[in-house]
Amino acid sequence: MCIPDKNIYKPYLATIENIIDETPDVRTFRLVFQDEAVRDSFSFRSGQFAEYSAFGYGESTFCIASSPTRKGYIECCFRSVGRVTEALRRLEIGDTLGVRGPYGNSFPIEALYGRNLVFVAGGIALPPLRTLIWNCLDQRDKFGEITIVYGARTEDDLVYKHELKEWQERSDVNLVKTVDPGGNSDTWDGRVGFVPTILEEAAPKSDNCVALVCGPPIMIKFTLPVLEKLGFSDENIITTLENRMKCGLGKCGRCNVGNVYVCKDGPVFTAKQVKEMPQEF
Amino acid sequence: MPKTITEQNLQALIDLLVKEGTRVVGPKRADTMVLYAPLTNGAELDLIELPRRSAKETFFPLCEEILSYEKKDGKTSVTDIDLDKLPETVLIGARPCDSAAPGILDAVFSWDYNDEFYLERRKKTVIIGLACTRGDDACFCTAVGYAPDTKQGSDLFLAPVEGGGFSVEAVTDKGTALLARYGGLFQDQAAVSPLPVATPTMAKLDLARIKGWLDHNFESDFWKEIAVRCVGCGACAFICPACHCFDINDEGTEAKGCRRKHWDACGFAKFTNHASGHNPRDVQPQRYRNRIMHKFKYYDDKFGKTLCTGCGRCIRACPVGIDIAALIEEISKK
Ligand code: SF4
Ligand code: SF4
Ligand code: FES
Repeated sequence: MCIPDKNIYKPYLATIENIIDETPDVRTFRLVFQDEAVRDSFSFRSGQFAEYSAFGYGESTFCIASSPTRKGYIECCFRSVGRVTEALRRLEIGDTLGVRGPYGNSFPIEALYGRNLVFVAGGIALPPLRTLIWNCLDQRDKFGEITIVYGARTEDDLVYKHELKEWQERSDVNLVKTVDPGGNSDTWDGRVGFVPTILEEAAPKSDNCVALVCGPPIMIKFTLPVLEKLGFSDENIITTLENRMKCGLGKCGRCNVGNVYVCKDGPVFTAKQVKEMPQEF
Repeated sequence: MPKTITEQNLQALIDLLVKEGTRVVGPKRADTMVLYAPLTNGAELDLIELPRRSAKETFFPLCEEILSYEKKDGKTSVTDIDLDKLPETVLIGARPCDSAAPGILDAVFSWDYNDEFYLERRKKTVIIGLACTRGDDACFCTAVGYAPDTKQGSDLFLAPVEGGGFSVEAVTDKGTALLARYGGLFQDQAAVSPLPVATPTMAKLDLARIKGWLDHNFESDFWKEIAVRCVGCGACAFICPACHCFDINDEGTEAKGCRRKHWDACGFAKFTNHASGHNPRDVQPQRYRNRIMHKFKYYDDKFGKTLCTGCGRCIRACPVGIDIAALIEEISKK
């Protein structure tokens, strides 16, 4: 949380400190709050999101993709697909944008202490897990085995390529990276196949293990049965839901799935909770 | 002793308030219809016809600025709206179905985060309610737990009496204060006979039963049947005293402009459209289902209240004749 403002819609100003092009249309911003008091007091938990604004265009919702263990900045990662994200993309290092948040619930990291973790992500959905991955790696001794299964359509579509390399080189992380059939070059050193299939082949043990899954709806749909086959209960599968949001504050009425407000009750849910919701997301 | 006020004195009260700088909002004729609008003098007050739109704009304007921004010499700054500048307001002649609505909406605008734009206006507004002596076929306040003479939400309550004028009752401290302040305009009168109030025909509905059906029938062919005609115009939401969905957008250039919050409607096709193109509510029946679910189940699940006061406005406004009262009545019999 941060210094409360009377105007709940007012963003903090942040400067773009660094820009990384993850893929041809996916970009990471590293942001530093301009107000020193905000910089010192802004805190968040992995899984929370924020509203990012390009002044003159409006706001867009993304998760906070950096780990709360890394102080002094936050990062977001977005694909340019609309008016606001295209305007954000035109911003350069040193430019200003607005940030409102952090909002929503978060991954129950304390409940993961002592457990084995399997992260499963597809495409642009790695950022919501990446905050948690670094959060865990920065306190590595608190967790058991860590497996990351990450895939995208093509090699180009993989985000955080530099970090994938880092994870691959670490002996305390088991990274299984994959691209869809046809998405690889001659020099590709990962697997080839869809995420659910590769997950099944990697066959992480479900004992004392929690699976954290983020991806496009179609990936989630085919991943859940695989996890079930591997022995994961719905309580031990955690995912995030994405819905169109505006306020992030439980007021504008946009993000609900049934009586669940994704911006307030989510975005983090267990597979059990997701299955109990009306299937309208 | 009970108080009364004559029609002339009610107009005089408005004139006085306006002169003192208070914003007075009340039913006012605008061409072919009556709308709640700021009054410049007491003679503009038109209490005969039911205002076409609800009074929610008094607290939750159709469109309002929530901040302004400016980029100057490479430096961006954001300026707040000075909420202290919001005027003291008297909403006069609010029908019971309108005065009851803010009491429902307070919950969503004040849970967890306070929307001060709404709450500050609420704080600064005195509501003078009016017993409803003229309804029409679309009215069904009595079916959803309200009544043409419900004082819920009013600070001061007027009821038309035989021979002209109104009986006056202070319902809250705000109402008492107003009554005391302008005491000279009111009379003491021992016996008054109020005019008979409107009598909506629909019997009281069992809202718990309606909710009970909604709890278990998200997937039902009923939705397809009832909403196939809905064209998604959003009129029902804009005209409703209790609908509160909104959007946030910027207006201006990169260099200077403002951010606005403005009404939106879950009936609009793009309301839930993701940037990826995926739309969780892809077809109109899903959107109409959300409207009914939000009003008679979700809001109740979250805040223990139904998001409808039975004003009938959405029935009057719907271009394809969808009748929410008939629908929930049908659900109540399922
Ligand atoms: S849903 Fe229709 S009848 Fe109910 S309060 Fe809204 S406009 Fe009035
Ligand atoms: S007014 Fe009628 S047609 Fe328009 S969105 Fe509402 S129900 Fe649909
Ligand atoms: S984003 Fe506005 S209610 Fe959830």
